Amino acid sequence: MKKLISFTVCISALMTASFALAQDKGHLNVKTVVQKEEITIDDSGARKTRLVPAETVVPGDSVIYTITFTNISEEAAENVVITNPVPENLTYIDGSAFGPGAVIEFSVDGGQNYGTSDELVIPDNGGSRAATAEDYTHLRWVMQNQLAAGSQGVASFRAELN
Amino acid sequence: MQLARVKSASAHRRARCSRFTATAFACLLATVTPARAAGTAAGTIINNSATVDFILAGTPVTQTSNVASITVVERIEVVLTLQSPQLVVAPAEPGRSLLFTLTNTGNGNETFSLAMNSLLPGDDFDPVPAVPGIYFDSDGSGDISPGDAAYVPGTNDPALPPDTSIDILLVNDIPGAVANGNVGRSELTASSTTGTGAPGDDFPGLGDGGVDAVIGATGGVAAQTGEYVVGDVQVDVVKSVAVTDPFGGDQPTPGATLTYTIAIEVMNTGTAVASVFRDPIPLDTTYVAGSITLNGGAMSDAVDADAGELDSTGAATVVVRLGDLTQISGSQTVAFQVTIN
Repeated sequence: MKKLISFTVCISALMTASFALAQDKGHLNVKTVVQKEEITIDDSGARKTRLVPAETVVPGDSVIYTITFTNISEEAAENVVITNPVPENLTYIDGSAFGPGAVIEFSVDGGQNYGTSDELVIPDNGGSRAATAEDYTHLRWVMQNQLAAGSQGVASFRAELN
Repeated sequence: MQLARVKSASAHRRARCSRFTATAFACLLATVTPARAAGTAAGTIINNSATVDFILAGTPVTQTSNVASITVVERIEVVLTLQSPQLVVAPAEPGRSLLFTLTNTGNGNETFSLAMNSLLPGDDFDPVPAVPGIYFDSDGSGDISPGDAAYVPGTNDPALPPDTSIDILLVNDIPGAVANGNVGRSELTASSTTGTGAPGDDFPGLGDGGVDAVIGATGGVAAQTGEYVVGDVQVDVVKSVAVTDPFGGDQPTPGATLTYTIAIEVMNTGTAVASVFRDPIPLDTTYVAGSITLNGGAMSDAVDADAGELDSTGAATVVVRLGDLTQISGSQTVAFQVTIN
């Protein structure tokens, strides 16, 4: 009996150790970049658009945030939800949120509650009105399927600088 | 109202994602920065990161991404607005001012240099700039006054925070050799001292806090032109008197009747607007009641609907309203009588 107990203890110690190791590596690699569109006109007069880093911006510019998340662990990740606040001084551009395999929702109350764009209301002079892009404080992408080990997902949205 | 539409059995909702209803949210709206016309201030740094929540091997995990950062640079924009209407001036009139408002419509602090030009082509005369000719309307009177500070280039170039304005006066003298209806123009120009040029031109490091400054749609410069018009209507007034004494002669004896006739005529182009003839009854005479005529038509002495009366509120005065007179109106004749006391 004694031997059995010590064997069990040994195994759980090993499992804890490997779990800790996985956490040190990070289960998902989550990266965000912000870019803006650069439009150039080539010699033939054609407009060419490409994305460049948005380091400097002026009011009225629009930027694109792209979040890439990769499952670098050995297990599938379930119930994956990516949440992104709409930064201060930026206004979310209606309809611009993009994310394959996700249901996209918005919050107008600082991230406490979320709903789809047609569900959200905000108080207005004692009554309420439908929320618009200017009211959104947060976005989130609710992945509808698990993220298998080694898989990658993308979420992006555009916002305009006030 | 359910939040997410569950598509597969494995993606079951976790308890932390609460049910959403129309009324059950906390009014914890993020502080809304009031929108400024000029936009977000230059030098503002905007950081953003994403959070990912997931379950791995039954354990909930939260991870945060790196920080994506953007810096707001300065966009130089300037607007000048003319406040004065076309100003009616007299020949040789000195010191007439035109009022302008200068507004910094960019998103950073900006200093502007000012210039005045009264030698513009296409007008009838050149106003003569006063020396100095540009003033700040320091006392807000809208006109040149002793409290207004003179602009000295390079010494007191106006420095304006974003979305602020300052009122500026251009002061000119009107030359003598001008005719009624002549128009003269004077132009104010304001230029950003950081730089001017084509929209998009970049001035590295010259914006607020050392960020870049970029020329906006206005090119960093604004100009507006004000106008003077000479109002110089010449009105000829000729007065004559006829004497009839009680003895059938023309001697100005006591009891004699004096008939005054006044001919009023506009001699040049232009309109004498709402002109009014006034003539006090001379001392030592007495007005003959009911004797006022205009172009031969009788006027009642009382204040009523007709154009003339004897105004007795102060010293007795004959008053006849002639309306708007032009050259085409021709000569207007007012007549009235008095007797010598």
